[in-house]
Amino acid sequence: MNNTVRISVVGLVFATLFAVLGIRLWTMQITEVHAYEVRAESQQVRVVYTPAPRGNIVDVNGVKLAGTRSALAAVVDLALIDDDEIDSLAENLGALLNESASGIVEQLSVDNRGLQITVAKDLTDAQAMFLLEHREDFAGVTVIPQPIRTYPFGDLAAHVLGYIGRPNDEDLEREDVDGTDFVGRAGVERSYDAQLQGTEGIVQYRVDARRKVLSLVREAPPTAGGSLILTLDSRVQEQLQQSLRDGLIQARLLEMQEREGELEGLSRSQRIAEALSEARREAAGTSDTPTETTSTIASVGVDDDDVARGPEPITVDAAEVLGPLYPGLPIDSEGVCVPVQRVAIPLGGEGMLSGIEPRFVRLDSIADMDGELVATVSISGVKTAVGANDWVDDERQVLQVLQLTEDEIILWHKDPWCPVRATGVILNPNDGSVIAMSSFPTYDPTIFVDGLSTEQWAALGTVSAFQNFAVQGLYAPASTFKVVPYVLAVEEGFYPLDRGRGDKEVGEESNEVPVPLRTDTDEYFCGGEFKFTLNDGTVQTKRDWIYPGSHGLLDLHGALEKSCDLYFWDLALRLWQERNDDSNIDKENLLQEWSRSFGFGTATGIDLPFEKSGLIPDRTWFSDQQDKETGRVRDGPWVGGDLMDIAVGQGAVLTTPLQLANGFSAMVNGGTVWQPRVVSQIINADGEVIDENPREVVARVDLDPRTVRMLREDLQTVVRSGTARSAFDGFGDNVELVGGKTGTGEVIKSSQDFKQVDNALFVGVAPINDPKWVVAVVVERGGGGSAVAAPIARQVLQYLLNGPEGVTELAPGLETD
Amino acid sequence: MSLRTRHRPTSVRMKDEPFKPDLVLVLTYLAISAIGLLMVYSATAPGLEASGKDPAAELRSQAIFVVIGFIIFGVVSTIDLVELRGFAGPIYIAAVVPLILVLTPLGESERMAQRWLPLGPIQFQPSEFAKIAVILMVASLLAAAEVPLKWNTVARILVVVGIPAALIFRQPDLGTTLVFVFVVLVMLFVGGSTMRQLGFLFVAAVVGTVGVFQLNIIKAYQITRLTAFIDPDSHSLDATYNQVQSEIAIGSGGLFGKGLFEGSQTNLQFVPVQSSDFIFTAVGEQFGFIGSAIVISLFGILLFRLLIIAGSARSRFAFLVTIGIAAMLAFHIFVNIGMTVRIMPVTGLPLPFMSAGGTVFVALSASLGLAHSAWIRRNSPVGE
Repeated sequence: MNNTVRISVVGLVFATLFAVLGIRLWTMQITEVHAYEVRAESQQVRVVYTPAPRGNIVDVNGVKLAGTRSALAAVVDLALIDDDEIDSLAENLGALLNESASGIVEQLSVDNRGLQITVAKDLTDAQAMFLLEHREDFAGVTVIPQPIRTYPFGDLAAHVLGYIGRPNDEDLEREDVDGTDFVGRAGVERSYDAQLQGTEGIVQYRVDARRKVLSLVREAPPTAGGSLILTLDSRVQEQLQQSLRDGLIQARLLEMQEREGELEGLSRSQRIAEALSEARREAAGTSDTPTETTSTIASVGVDDDDVARGPEPITVDAAEVLGPLYPGLPIDSEGVCVPVQRVAIPLGGEGMLSGIEPRFVRLDSIADMDGELVATVSISGVKTAVGANDWVDDERQVLQVLQLTEDEIILWHKDPWCPVRATGVILNPNDGSVIAMSSFPTYDPTIFVDGLSTEQWAALGTVSAFQNFAVQGLYAPASTFKVVPYVLAVEEGFYPLDRGRGDKEVGEESNEVPVPLRTDTDEYFCGGEFKFTLNDGTVQTKRDWIYPGSHGLLDLHGALEKSCDLYFWDLALRLWQERNDDSNIDKENLLQEWSRSFGFGTATGIDLPFEKSGLIPDRTWFSDQQDKETGRVRDGPWVGGDLMDIAVGQGAVLTTPLQLANGFSAMVNGGTVWQPRVVSQIINADGEVIDENPREVVARVDLDPRTVRMLREDLQTVVRSGTARSAFDGFGDNVELVGGKTGTGEVIKSSQDFKQVDNALFVGVAPINDPKWVVAVVVERGGGGSAVAAPIARQVLQYLLNGPEGVTELAPGLETD
Repeated sequence: MSLRTRHRPTSVRMKDEPFKPDLVLVLTYLAISAIGLLMVYSATAPGLEASGKDPAAELRSQAIFVVIGFIIFGVVSTIDLVELRGFAGPIYIAAVVPLILVLTPLGESERMAQRWLPLGPIQFQPSEFAKIAVILMVASLLAAAEVPLKWNTVARILVVVGIPAALIFRQPDLGTTLVFVFVVLVMLFVGGSTMRQLGFLFVAAVVGTVGVFQLNIIKAYQITRLTAFIDPDSHSLDATYNQVQSEIAIGSGGLFGKGLFEGSQTNLQFVPVQSSDFIFTAVGEQFGFIGSAIVISLFGILLFRLLIIAGSARSRFAFLVTIGIAAMLAFHIFVNIGMTVRIMPVTGLPLPFMSAGGTVFVALSASLGLAHSAWIRRNSPVGE
């Protein structure tokens, strides 16, 4: 090889290398140029979204129940500061915001340099001004306006409004939602979230590699969301909430008075002290754990010397024993009626459980068994071993282990007799509009704006304060449900067979009631006990609430007025017995069909989230439950007794308070079942209507106008002289315009050692000749409907009929059904 | 065929005027340097301006070195390589001593490597001059050797190259070490080594590379830097950020580029150390494929001229020196531009005559001057 050849080879190598570069440049700059352009562009534009103010929520009169306030937020753009600047910046911010500098350092110490961190959501004007005037001390901090949700009336209509919070995974699937947004999590805030959201504003900046802003590319201001116009009247709502709250307090007082009566003359503090020292004696005698632990329990208000002479001194701290209490609800200072408790007990300590007779739980020991903690607790001296999440009492399921650590146990306890909640709905029966809706305990949605503290969550969550029980609570409608077999009887001409003799004049306007209807209301002997024969020939007995008393002779009207169970049981029994006759009516399901026609057993379709559908049971459902082994039904076949239970709103029948109000509405308005609604219109910032939620008919039940009129009359009789009479004593003017039906739903049957637990219900209608309002009230575990629920409805109806001055003080009615 | 000490150019017309410069070479060199200055300015001005400094500050300091480089080029062009050959040994020693010094505490460290020696106010990078010294030394040894080369000649050359290469590798500066490898291979090839020798060296290089990796002589970050370019997404941002940004800049330039001072990547400083190692991104983004092709073509012309000069060199020593210098420049150009378009790892080799950096510009100007002197004296009688 000569030099020329060797040089040429070298030249060829060089040429090859250069060709490689050329080809690579060609691919990048000619073939794939677009992809590179996109990448270049995207990293040079910084997009900042400005949140849109949520739409307002106003009541029917334009009163703003939820609004938006423009707050000034301090935001640190991490891209604009260096790591070594964080400390001094945090110090300055801490001093300005009156927070710890280390907390701010922690906030700012995140990996993602592209983030903007909000260090203060709501600056005062002075703070904002100071920030802007001392920019050199606050490098990287910008002050930006940020809308903040406000609820000017606190807990007013909280369950209808709902609350907002950070989106969950499901929310994030929506296109218009990202992780930094707030979305509605309950109430209309949730169901109308898309309309309330508005459109985020967008600001695009051109930035350099250090993310320094160079120029503004595009700016679009945010568009506020639409405002909801509710059907609610906040004045009525306020009255309903007040009455529910007062009614629940009264129910508790009644319960406690009753307990006092059962304490055989001893004062409660004596009784507690006695139970406590007994528990201690047993613990000392049977437990091998050291007993010198300082007890944080306490018993409450004990000043009796007996206790002080006990084996150890007792420290008394009511709050610790009782756990978090409802906000705003007074509790008996001795703590004997707490519906739901969270009780934390340290090792060797004791806690007191609310109940007819307070029980004491002692945490004896905690052992580690194969990696799982097992605690030994003694309840009134009886020892039980429990693990995390176990029921301590499998039978009644009122005491459960919430949390178990090496030195502490947290128990969840339910006092079955203590009234837990009062729920009410007021509907306009002529279009399904909700005029007021609430349940107590409730909450102030504002607490969600700042983020809920653990304590708030525990306190309110324990009593399910965040749930809207008007649409989510399922209750046996009990005697209020008797209007369904009542309407069935009149419309189908179907009455108990075993009637007495003799005609009865019905009301003053009986002349207007046509003869066939009247003759079918023959009197019926409504005793305290109902004996009937089953298919297999055995004779069973059901007892009316009035047992051992008797209602005497009653017709259909009287049966509703006095809430006679027998009449409706007998009606159902006849349906059952004739179920296989040759008529073409399906008598076995006739009652269910009538129930369902008024909307029971199906969700009403109201524009609120999480609505429950309730249940009207029948043979199909029954056997279906057996097949699926849900444990909700007993063994054996569907029997006549089941149908009889439906007739009086017991058994498996479940309705929501809203369904009750809506069903009554349909019956008293002539048969139109409306779809209830809380929002009527959505308007934009200029007040133009952008969306409507018009009243909507779900179904029309073909009712004889005479049936409707008769039912109204009889509902009035219930108030005038029937089961609700005592509750409406002293109503004042217009009491003749009020009708209603009481109900007492059995939650737990009484037994030898267990006092019966009842829900109290009342559904009221006014004015009865031309109904404008239907009020449904349920007091959970409240006791008798006439005693506890009717007085609440009475106050509300007084307000509606006679104005605020017409409302008289709450007083319990007499116990009836 | 035997090689003679006197060579006649075959493709270039003989000139009677002995001191006539190679105008194409000089003009190409000046053009590349001028484009380099413009690029340095476009890459640094916006950042300097944004931080409130004189936007031309970097341009000015680079321009000073460019002027010094021009002068050095001119001066060196007049050196008679034949006379210089006698000084190859002392120059070699003078170049190796600072390489040792730079590893002592006297050396200054920048970006985890000790490459600089402070000389009063100026910093000095000894490895740049070591390249020239080694080329001179190797050329001197090869020129004196019999063709085809004997194994012991090859061994001596390997020792001569190995000492500075190892010292530079210790700094650590892998890129420059590889320059030595490439240059010596090319010089041995043209210097008359046999194919067996080259084959052996190739195998040795492979074994050596594997050994270097296996014995953990290379630091982890170096391996990452060397391999990260293959799959930039799988590595931390630091390892690949430069290359990814550089690639985006060049790719988004398109056919005609975004225009001078319109390069968003360049002017918004998305590409770090752009004015030095990544100067080519400024060309690619602002002038597109056309501009890149022009710059690469200028380098091509430069190398072509160097090969012509080599072919016409009057002495074997000059021939070898010119080839060595051409190989060194070619390697720099390919590895540097290859790095900016992500087909080569990040090695820190500058782009000749364009990357900002004083020592490099001056050193490369000097080496180009040496090659140029071979051209100027191609017809003069051998004065040995």
